[in-house]
Amino acid sequence: MPIKILAFAGSPRRHGNSETLLDWVLAAMREEPAVIIEKIPLSEVDIHPCRGCNACEKLNMCVQRDGMDAINPKIIEADGIVISAPIFCMGINAQTKALIDRAQVFRSRKYVLKLPIVPPERKGKRLGIFLSTAGQTWPHVFDAARPSVRCFFHVIDIMDADISYLMINGVDEKGAILNHPAAKADAEQLGHATITELKKRLAL
Amino acid sequence: MTINVLGISGSPHRHGNTETLLDSFLEGAASAGAVVEKVVLKDLTYSSCKGCNTCHTTGECIIRDDVIPLLQKILEADCVALASPIYSMGITAELKGLIDRAQYLWARKFIIKNLYFSSDHIRRHKGLFISTAGLSWDNVFDAAFPAITAFFNGTGFEYYDNIIANNMDAFGGVKKHPTALKEAYDKGRKVVEVLESLPLPKERL
Repeated sequence: MPIKILAFAGSPRRHGNSETLLDWVLAAMREEPAVIIEKIPLSEVDIHPCRGCNACEKLNMCVQRDGMDAINPKIIEADGIVISAPIFCMGINAQTKALIDRAQVFRSRKYVLKLPIVPPERKGKRLGIFLSTAGQTWPHVFDAARPSVRCFFHVIDIMDADISYLMINGVDEKGAILNHPAAKADAEQLGHATITELKKRLAL
Repeated sequence: MTINVLGISGSPHRHGNTETLLDSFLEGAASAGAVVEKVVLKDLTYSSCKGCNTCHTTGECIIRDDVIPLLQKILEADCVALASPIYSMGITAELKGLIDRAQYLWARKFIIKNLYFSSDHIRRHKGLFISTAGLSWDNVFDAAFPAITAFFNGTGFEYYDNIIANNMDAFGGVKKHPTALKEAYDKGRKVVEVLESLPLPKERL
């Protein structure tokens, strides 16, 4: 059985710094046999913001029909889920926040309706990765992104110990990350380590 | 001098807890003699920042939509209240979408340097953040503050105060909260009084 990786490129800028970081991770993963990777650039998907209607607490699904209809089953099927997003104005960019807020349907499923997110045999075996880049050099520039990212992973049943972070500050103009001394090697190491761990967990 | 107070509701949910708290703030401001206006982001049409960085050289946004006149209105207000509920430990995508689009003002201020706010201007332009959260956690608003700070920094406002109330789920909504609505009303009155009490700007003397 192949390992399924679902990756979101959350930046509105295609092939910029955060997507390049993602591509490095995915390229390392792709070197491993039997890994299926799907990358979804959020700039090409129609994802409306959450309406806050709370209907999912009763319906177990969202009342909005848009790009999330195709994404939700993929979130459940994936063994590894990667989000890459740039920091805009000290937080994750609005498109990625919309994706995270729409995961409310999983929060309702898990915490209100008390239904499983994944079948019992897959619970606790999934991994999450958050990749981010920021133009600012401040060390605290990623602090406000982390709580929302943790929310996303928690509601899809990927808990703190199973989330990895690779966040590179001080890269602003397109391509700036190519000159970063450690980002590429760290990304490749993370890609390989993630697949190694998933193989162990899935007994492949 | 008439004080203009602009409330911006970033909730997708009309007349919910956050907008009700904003309404109370605006009522308080109006009772002190301010001219108040409320903008509901969900009724506007605007796209997210494309991250193209064109504004870093031109100082203008390449996207012409409802955000541009709104940001102009914000620059002309004496007091701005940004309101958003907490979703997934942060502000809504609607409000974050507005904040991200103010990048061209940031670029004008910090890169092109054709937008400048004197310390006197900043002192007489007050910004507030109004929010509610379902969760009881004390840290539930922490990840919202940095983006609000960034927005007020780029638009020439002093980040003056927060009007925030957590634990909405347990209270059964802001109307059942013991203090929140009165606090919002009082702070609306107070900020107008503070702005009116400031001595006239030097350039008008």
